[in-house]
Amino acid sequence: MDSLTLPLPSSLRSKLLEAGFANTSAFQHLTPLQLARDANISHQEALAILKTVSWMNCADQYSKEEDILSSAKTAWDLLCYEKSRKKLRTCCSELDTVLGGGFKPKELTEICGVPGVGKTQLGMQLSINVQIPSEFGGLGGQAVYIDTEGSFMVERALQMAESMIDYLKYATSSCESTVGLGMSLNVDTFLSHIFYYRVYDCTEQLAVVNSLEEFLKEHREVRLIVIDSVTFHFRQDFQDWALRTRLLNGMAQKLMGLAQKHDVVVVLVNQVTTKTNGEIVPALGESWSHTCTNRLILSWSNGCRQVHIFKSPSLPAATASFAVSADGIRDVESSKRIKLCTISSP
Amino acid sequence: MPPLAALALPSLSPELLSFFATHGIVSVEDFLIRDIYQLPGLRAADSDKLRKAVTEVLAFLENGHASWRNGWDLFNNLEHNIRFLPTGYDSLDSLLQGGLREGTVTELVGASSCGKTQLCMQVSAHVAVRFGAMVAYIDTSNSFSSERLEQMLNDLLNSQREVEKTGAFMQALKNIVCYRAFDVYSMLILLQKLNTSIENHSQKTHSGRLRLIVVDSVSSVISPILGGNISQGHTLMMSIGQILKKLAVDNSIAVLTTNHTVTGESGNFKPALGESWKSVPHVRLLLRREIADGIYVASLTKHSSQACTKEAAFSIGRSGLQANVNHE
Repeated sequence: MDSLTLPLPSSLRSKLLEAGFANTSAFQHLTPLQLARDANISHQEALAILKTVSWMNCADQYSKEEDILSSAKTAWDLLCYEKSRKKLRTCCSELDTVLGGGFKPKELTEICGVPGVGKTQLGMQLSINVQIPSEFGGLGGQAVYIDTEGSFMVERALQMAESMIDYLKYATSSCESTVGLGMSLNVDTFLSHIFYYRVYDCTEQLAVVNSLEEFLKEHREVRLIVIDSVTFHFRQDFQDWALRTRLLNGMAQKLMGLAQKHDVVVVLVNQVTTKTNGEIVPALGESWSHTCTNRLILSWSNGCRQVHIFKSPSLPAATASFAVSADGIRDVESSKRIKLCTISSP
Repeated sequence: MPPLAALALPSLSPELLSFFATHGIVSVEDFLIRDIYQLPGLRAADSDKLRKAVTEVLAFLENGHASWRNGWDLFNNLEHNIRFLPTGYDSLDSLLQGGLREGTVTELVGASSCGKTQLCMQVSAHVAVRFGAMVAYIDTSNSFSSERLEQMLNDLLNSQREVEKTGAFMQALKNIVCYRAFDVYSMLILLQKLNTSIENHSQKTHSGRLRLIVVDSVSSVISPILGGNISQGHTLMMSIGQILKKLAVDNSIAVLTTNHTVTGESGNFKPALGESWKSVPHVRLLLRREIADGIYVASLTKHSSQACTKEAAFSIGRSGLQANVNHE
């Protein structure tokens, strides 16, 4: 393995390269004292380097047994997974249809739109929907809600949870075998399974994202992370644009790693900005637009709310309309009764 | 250059090595730039050993360097061994003189949602089906979608009979191996492991050899570390470029990478990763999308063996890239 890939400070790395330790195999059978002398570094540093190398070698040995070309996941394995995975539904059947069944786990989805178009509503609705038990065709998970703007309203979440429970009870009442399931649901559990962080500046936001790894290890039920909005703090306090781009991209890469490893849906809410020619575009600029797997643009059209799939590797560009009713996100025509889920028979 | 001890030559005894070390000679480089015979403090009895060691090191280095090849060899190699991998869309293939050339790095640059990932998946599907070859797909932005690949393959295999189709379909999907890397270190480690296992693999199995490596995208792992006062990001970026080129040349593999765009000084979009990355790809294709009429345009901005004036237009449908309907 190349010494360049060792997680070491750059000053040490360049000293190692200078002394000819370009490959980790050169460290074999070396005592810390010899290394310190040869590379002209302190004894402690040499010790730390050798520890890192031997740790990396152990990890490497473990995987060296199998050749990574034949042990890797093939597209066939991934297809089997993608076919079998459950998606997070939105309560709006038109939206679900264009999304190919709902929001997909392991992917980052960005929601952009003008204020008041329903971004936060959608985020809250998803935090409720992710908790629909698997018996009802849901994910049966929990949600992490990172609020940067203070727009999460718990009364509203309560409303949505209540109407969701009403609906689930109604759906089960027709079928004898599942009546009990509907009865066991209550609002308290729905609300207590939303883990809420309120962050007040961009440093806090980055810190929360960095600590999510630990959090998800402890809370394995979490299947949804919402950041509402990813933009707010990064729009206010930044002078150095290049730094902002680096931080945001780094954060997005972390979230992708998390989404992949823990099989969660990640939803990022983004604001919009007006360009000099009057065109309304998602905020955070060009390089941010590459980071998300999917980009949904919410907009108004003839007094009706619309979602447009602007970017997706798997879905064609499409538009769907949705409504925000007292119950939450619903279809436009029948905002009351929804065909939300099918009950799987035991 | 490696440390002397790593050469493991018999004449370099521990005593001799420690003698060198006291004079600050540790690596082969130190060895070459110092006059060994003028080192003070050498006992007369050891001078024979020293002479032997010097001859042996020099002989070792002499044999170690790559052998010369002449232009005729290279041309013959190009004629007989190097293939062009078709992209699955004819106008694009003719733009590229036949497709992605093995042994070179091709880069797709474009704003978001202008068809980069679609093209990557399409090329993978075509290579897997037509050559029965393996494809390594390195996904750094969670954008590889096997469901989308399935759609493309379905249309590609449409002409075949139903019985053969299922088998061919599954085989094609199994030929595409996927990796995910979300930071630059895991990316480097992954590329190095690929480098070592390619050789072992081709001997062991009967399935086609690896012909294509797709990295979608290079910029998303590099942009978090590039810029500011940190020069290390730049070093890591260039070593990724170096490994990709090495993989391509040593094993005759076509490498396809994607890069995103950033806003330049004048407000125009320009490829990300700056000037030094520009030298890494042999071929650079710029993609853009006319939002209004759904046309995508690919134009050649760098090519190592032809002029860059041509463009190809396409649209993206269910089966992947296709001729633009409005144009015909």
